[in-house]
Amino acid sequence: MIDWLAFVVVAGASLISSALIVTLYSLGLRLMTSAGRSPVVGPAEFTGAITVLTPKRAAKEAKRTRKALAANPLTDDQKKLALVGAYACFALCVGAVLFGVYLIVPALHGG
Amino acid sequence: MPELTLIVVLVIALALIFDFTNGFHDTANAMATPIATGAMKPKVAVMVAAVLNLIGAFLSTEVARTISGGMIKEGEDGILITPELIFAGLIGAIVWNLITWLRGLPSSSSHALFGGLIGATVIGVGFQAVDYDVVMAKVILPAIIAPIIVGVVAFIATRLAYAVTRREVGRPDGRGGFRYAQVFSSSLVALAHGTNDAQKTMGVITLTLIASGYQTVGTGPEFWVIASCALAIAIGTYTGGWRIIQTMGRGLTDVKPAQGFAAETSTAATILASSHLGFALSTTQVASGSVIGSGLGRRGSTVRWGMAGHIALGWVLTLPAAGIMGAFAAGLALLGPVGIVLDVIIGSIVVAGIYWWSRSSRVTHHHLLHDIDDAGHVVRITKTPRKPARRDRKKVAL
Repeated sequence: MIDWLAFVVVAGASLISSALIVTLYSLGLRLMTSAGRSPVVGPAEFTGAITVLTPKRAAKEAKRTRKALAANPLTDDQKKLALVGAYACFALCVGAVLFGVYLIVPALHGG
Repeated sequence: MPELTLIVVLVIALALIFDFTNGFHDTANAMATPIATGAMKPKVAVMVAAVLNLIGAFLSTEVARTISGGMIKEGEDGILITPELIFAGLIGAIVWNLITWLRGLPSSSSHALFGGLIGATVIGVGFQAVDYDVVMAKVILPAIIAPIIVGVVAFIATRLAYAVTRREVGRPDGRGGFRYAQVFSSSLVALAHGTNDAQKTMGVITLTLIASGYQTVGTGPEFWVIASCALAIAIGTYTGGWRIIQTMGRGLTDVKPAQGFAAETSTAATILASSHLGFALSTTQVASGSVIGSGLGRRGSTVRWGMAGHIALGWVLTLPAAGIMGAFAAGLALLGPVGIVLDVIIGSIVVAGIYWWSRSSRVTHHHLLHDIDDAGHVVRITKTPRKPARRDRKKVAL
């Protein structure tokens, strides 16, 4: 009576989808940074911390980030490639989310 | 039968109030982190959460069917549960919810609802009226397994997020970019919340309509039921948001953007997958599980077992405790109209008393941001050393 398979499905589905989405987005961020366009306006050293920045401080941090990114070992072509890769990753990430929602809503696929 | 109609209207109203409080209670689950990290402006975040809860409620009806069609058995001449008993179950659930809220106990409004309904059914009809297989398969087991699943998933996702965006010394790692991702991941959590929690109320209302003969056994929720539940939870979410805004900046768990994104993605994925299969989860428990899991995925984390035990105890207590409240209310309701009136009076007194007590400055932000925040404290994280590790320094030298 207890459908153990359903739990396996839930575990598998959430693991695969979360891992995929998180990896794609992280990869996008990394490529973005490699391309010299850090998507962040934020502190370069404590990137993770929860801080609600004041606009003044954010501007200061942005300047610092730009400075840190100025020294880039990649060539221009490599940078361009990295940027394209980053956008591709973000696009795939959004696609994965939309596909997940599509699978869940029965109205969208006539089931 | 005007009397029957009155009680049905009463149950529907009570169910919608329960739905409202559910949304009110759970806005923090989805939206506290993006507001805290500055990813979203509070007003926008609350509005988005409300709208997505509304949309989410329309997406699926599996969970509602679990409640209206599976949990309570049908007798030989149709369904045995009466609207009066559902009414009693709801009173039990609401009262238990308020008590745990006041005492700062972690609990789950979903389990309170199931507990209340089961308790009321057992008293009103008997032990044989509850389908224990369904309760076990779709309520109790998911309650135990889902937080574990989501914890493991969040742990792996956090590890992945940090591994992929490894820090190169002297260069920004782009991890702050997870703030933007959190806008979407927390929106997904709000959507998932709508798909699971709004449906619990739909299930209860549908069960009432079936029990009173307005709807045939085995059918899903009517459109107006879906719409009104969606609206109630959305309004609740919107109202609850203002409370978060007021308490912002007063000691929220330290959740970093990368971690928050991983946790929210795992939460949303697990809840959506479960809603799809008709598991009636507690969204709060899933969110707590993922916060703990993702906390463990960070470097330098240790578990505070005492805190974890406190949370687990609250979870275990909810179902039976709400069951006892529901059973008590059902005992009164069986006395007939007088009992129902008594139920309403006692319920109102408890609600008013709790409201009054909460006004007398005993409520801290601990009560307001509640369970997820507790879960965050289960994991202790030592500050990451600011100095780069030896191997990283070497890399720079090269």
